[in-house]
This record gives sequence, structure tokens and C-alpha cells, in this order.
Amino acid sequence: MSNDKRQKPVHPLLPPLAGGFILLAGLMLLFTTCQKHGPVDNVPAPTPYRIEIPYGFPTKLNIPVDNPMTVEGIELGRYLFYDGRLSGRTHPDSLMTCASCHRQERSFEAGVDHPDFPGGFPHGITGKPTHHVMLPMINLVWNQNGYGWSGFLYPDNPSEYFRNIEDFVRLAVEAPDEISGDTTRTRDLIQSIPGYPELFKKAFGSDKVTFRNIEKAIAQFVRTLISANSKFDKYMRGEVQLNQSELNGYVLFTTEEGADCFHCHGGFGNPLFTTHLFYNNGKDTVFTDPMDRFQVTGDPADHGAYKVTTLRNIELQGPYMHDGRFATLEEVIDLYSHNLKQSPYVSPLMHHVNDGGIQLTAGEKQDLLSFIKTLRDDDFLTNPAFAKPQSFPDEK
Amino acid sequence: MKKQLPVLVILITGLLILTACNKGSNKDDPGKLNLYFTHLADGSTLEFDTLKYLNAAGNPYLVSEIQYFISDVTVYRDDGTAFLLDSGEDIHYVDTDLPDTWNYALPDDIEPGTYDSISFTFGINEEKNKSQLFVNPPESNMFWPELLNGGYHYMKLNGKWKSAGDTIRPFNFHMGIGQVYDTLTGVITDFVQNYFRVSLPASGFTIEPGKTVSFEVRMDVQQWFENPHVYDLNYWGGKMMQNQAALQTAKENGHNVFSVQKLLLE
Repeated sequence: MSNDKRQKPVHPLLPPLAGGFILLAGLMLLFTTCQKHGPVDNVPAPTPYRIEIPYGFPTKLNIPVDNPMTVEGIELGRYLFYDGRLSGRTHPDSLMTCASCHRQERSFEAGVDHPDFPGGFPHGITGKPTHHVMLPMINLVWNQNGYGWSGFLYPDNPSEYFRNIEDFVRLAVEAPDEISGDTTRTRDLIQSIPGYPELFKKAFGSDKVTFRNIEKAIAQFVRTLISANSKFDKYMRGEVQLNQSELNGYVLFTTEEGADCFHCHGGFGNPLFTTHLFYNNGKDTVFTDPMDRFQVTGDPADHGAYKVTTLRNIELQGPYMHDGRFATLEEVIDLYSHNLKQSPYVSPLMHHVNDGGIQLTAGEKQDLLSFIKTLRDDDFLTNPAFAKPQSFPDEK
Repeated sequence: MKKQLPVLVILITGLLILTACNKGSNKDDPGKLNLYFTHLADGSTLEFDTLKYLNAAGNPYLVSEIQYFISDVTVYRDDGTAFLLDSGEDIHYVDTDLPDTWNYALPDDIEPGTYDSISFTFGINEEKNKSQLFVNPPESNMFWPELLNGGYHYMKLNGKWKSAGDTIRPFNFHMGIGQVYDTLTGVITDFVQNYFRVSLPASGFTIEPGKTVSFEVRMDVQQWFENPHVYDLNYWGGKMMQNQAALQTAKENGHNVFSVQKLLLE
């Protein structure tokens, strides 16, 4: 018998397990009784929000179990997404938030015409440029394969701080090349703004603001940013017909003997227009970026590999590639048509690499571009539910 | 360990009581079949992204990944009676990058008794191979273009080979529905179903009441290029989705690609 007191029964007639159970129950009761900030009385539970699955889209969603979608959480997240005080600062020149870079009219990227970031190259409040350019913020609730160009945020990451969109919020607030803030200052400032504590109470049951709940609210809002009503979506649903150039482009897009885009960028059978996987697409021969896929997996085959981007609204989302080397889609098509480079790390799916590319004619390039532009979703770009709120909580 | 002893004793006692109360398997209790997929070359576990293999045509090659469907597993009694195991997951996806896909625990109940063999469809048959059958990845990433009759790739086997002149070239050994083209216009006039049945050699087994029989199903990658046709990548090139002659050759080679080894597991 062990001398450890924790193994001794609390009553001589009770077996060890029962004794342990009673002790545990007692402690739980004590904890519950003494807790000052438990579930707040008289706070209605937030309203569950259900994502409607568009035609052909995956049914599996990437929503963490500890952050279910709610109407109130999304509303709060939308305010925070657009409120420059997320920076933890109040001087008008120092305000910065998600929407400082993620503009709805540019499909939640900066866009090459961003007034503060010429060419679409964002930098932080300190002027330090971001390491990579931005990725599309579209349909992220269906991304199961990691966030970021390298996929460094993924659900089963051993580090609980690098798993999902929630963590991106923290990283953006702290990063010197982004908001360059401090989570404590942000939390305290949001706490002090009239109206916000009530919104936190509605969304999370407590008016005490935590940065984790700030992360959760913004992530909930971002998960609602769904694009599923482009011309191609309507074509899939049998509502419209594509014109001849668009159809020609569709043939090129989805055939191996054509441009063979579909293996990575999807199509009718994968309307996300990305597999969310990572490939070296043959644009370089030397790979020194410390933030490519190799840095996540350690697999030598992943040198120079990056996330396949969705092509939805891609015409608005320049500059292109992880480093923004191309300002236009025409340049991107030229890469895949004529300018590919062989290396030991290029993906086998780039089966035209030895010819320099798919060798499209000028007409074929135009057709391919016409098809890609059918993926523009104006409803997404103008959806008022995604737009900046008319006023912030303290302005009401 | 010492601290856990009393709890352990209680747990073991409980288990013993539970076991004692169990009346044991009834002789009519059904069993289960479990298939575990592995991938080999030259008799050893396949090593990925290493240019170390030489196919029957003399092409040095490497494999980056293999993704494929098998479906409609069927078991046969010694009297020839066939039992199609399709009551649950009738199509299974295997992806060498995703360990969760390597095991296929068939949910079907199997009557106790002796079975001669196992067979399955490589790919998906015409009736089932329809677009939007899978909307979730990774299976949805296998979609076959609508213009080529839709549905899903049977297999993507991606790699590279050293061609004449020692040039490294990618190959996409992608099997699926073939097409017949009008030689003058290039228009598709018909489609060809290239799925096929695989009869696993030496796959007899006995199901005991309430027990599971497990097999390791081995894909020998070399066989895709070897038997009965030597598949020369220098001749066929790195793609095949729109080349029915290449698809037909691959299909005929596919009959000898799989073998089984019974696993001594319960």
C-alpha cells in the first residue's frame, strides 16, 4: 500500500475510487461556489449561427470547438475588424486594424491600388514591410490544410497558439510589420470603450474583455466571408451560360492537354478553386525564403512550396505570388505559359516545366483570362454584412 | 506506478467481472474485414521523392505521392457465392500523404465461415462515379473534369523520371474515364470506363464468430510499368488523362499491382 495520502480512503468503508470521487465532487462544488466570474446571471445564450453550404461546397467546416459561430460573436467581430482601436492606440495617425489592409472592395486584400500601400505591398505602422504579400480572405472556413503561405497555422499544431484564424489575430496585432501593438493594451482599450463590454457580454457571457475573446470574435466574422455567387457559380447551378471565350478558357483550365490549372486550382468538382495544398510552382531555381513550406514540414521536397491560392476574385487580388512579383494576371499566365523554371523541388504536377510552360497562344491566354474573370463575385465585394459598420459601439 | 496500483487492481477486477459475465461469441455472430494499404517498390516499402527506382523500360524514376480509390470489395465463398460489401463505406480513398486513409475497416457484417478470395474495383464504377459524389477534401480534390465525363480520378500517381539526355521530367500517371476523339475535329465522341476489378491472389480467409480478419494490401508500384506491358515513360510522356491508349495500357497493367498478406491481428 502506498504511503501517499491521496490514495487513502476518506472513509474507512469507502474504496479508494469512491473516496476520490467524493473529494473531486467536493472540490468542484467549492470551486463553483467561490467563483466570482462564472456564467453571468440573466445573460441569454448567444444565438447560434449556421453557415449555409453553397451548392457543391464542402460540408466539413473548420470551426474550432471552443469558438462556435454565433450571431452576437460575428457582430462583435465585425466591429473589431473595422475598428482602428484594435491597435490599442487612439491617436488618429496610429490607428490600425484588420481592415487597414483587408479591403472588401479588393476582396479583402490590399489591392495594387491601395492608397497607403503602393502596389499592394502592406507594411506595418512602423513602416516595416510584411514578409509576404497578402492571401485572399475568402471561404477560409473551408480551409483544413493550414493558414498562411506556408500553412504554419494548422489545427493539430502542437503549439496551441498557432492553430487557426484566432491566432492570426494575435499575430497581426503584435507583429512589427503589421499592427505592432500589444494585446494587453488592446484588451484594456476595448474594455474602456462604451458599448464594447455589453457586446462581449452578449457574445461570450461576460463583459470582461479578454484578448482571446477578441480573437474569437474576429475569427467568427472572418469565417462568414463566403464567396459563392460568381458567374461561374451561376453557371454551375444552371442559371447562366458562359460566353464562347469563357467556355474556351474553361476547357483550357480543366484539361491536362490544355492549361491544366484544375489539379491545384479546382473547378466544378472543387468550387473552392484551391486544394489549400502547397506546391513549388516552378517560378525560381534558388530557394532561400525562411518562411516557405519547408520551414513547417522539414521535408526537402517542400523547398519553395507555398499555399495554392483560391482564384475566386483573383483579378482584384494582385500583386501575385507569395512575394508579389507579378502585378497583373497577364504576367501570371505568362509565367505558366512560357517562363517556368526547372528545379529539383518543382511539383510533379507542373508537367510542362521542361517546355518552359504550357505554351498558350495569345488567343488562348485571353480565353483563359476570360474564364478566370468569371470567378469574380460582385455580391461578395458589396455584401453589406461584410462592410464597415455605420457606427462603432461608442458612437450609438 | 506504485501510486496507481489500487486503481489498477479495481480496473482489472472490473474487467475480469465483465469478461466473466460475457457469454462469449455466438457461433453465428458475424465477423469483419479490415484492409490496410501499403506501397512497395522492388520488394521494399516505397521511398518517396528519391530517384532510386528503375522501371521495366529502364526509366529511372521517383514517386512523390499516390492517391486512389478502391470500391465494391467483394468476398467469395468456396461454393462461388459472392458477397458485395457495400452496406457502408463502399468507396475508399487512399492517400500516401494521409495516414488516416491507409486503413479501411469495412463496416459490413460477414458470416462466419471460409472464404476463397477477395476482389475489389480499382477506381469507381460507372454507376457510382458521378460528379459531386464527394464534396469534401481530400476526395473532392480527385475530381475528373466535367468535359471528360466528370466523376473522379481513379488514381493520381505523381513522380518524376530521368528521360533521354538525363533530363528530369515530371509524370502524372492519372487514371480515370477515357475519351474517344474524332480524328478530324478533335471533338469527343464517346467515353471509356477504365475502372477494373482486381482479384487478390492468395486472399482466402476464415471468419470466426465475432472476429475481424485483417489483410495488408500491397501496391507494387513497379507493376504499373511492367506487366503485361512495359510502360515506357519516354514513349508515353508525362501525362495520360486524354490518351486512352495510355490509360488502356495502365489499366491492363493494374491487374497485377496488388497482393495481400494476412495480418495476425484481431
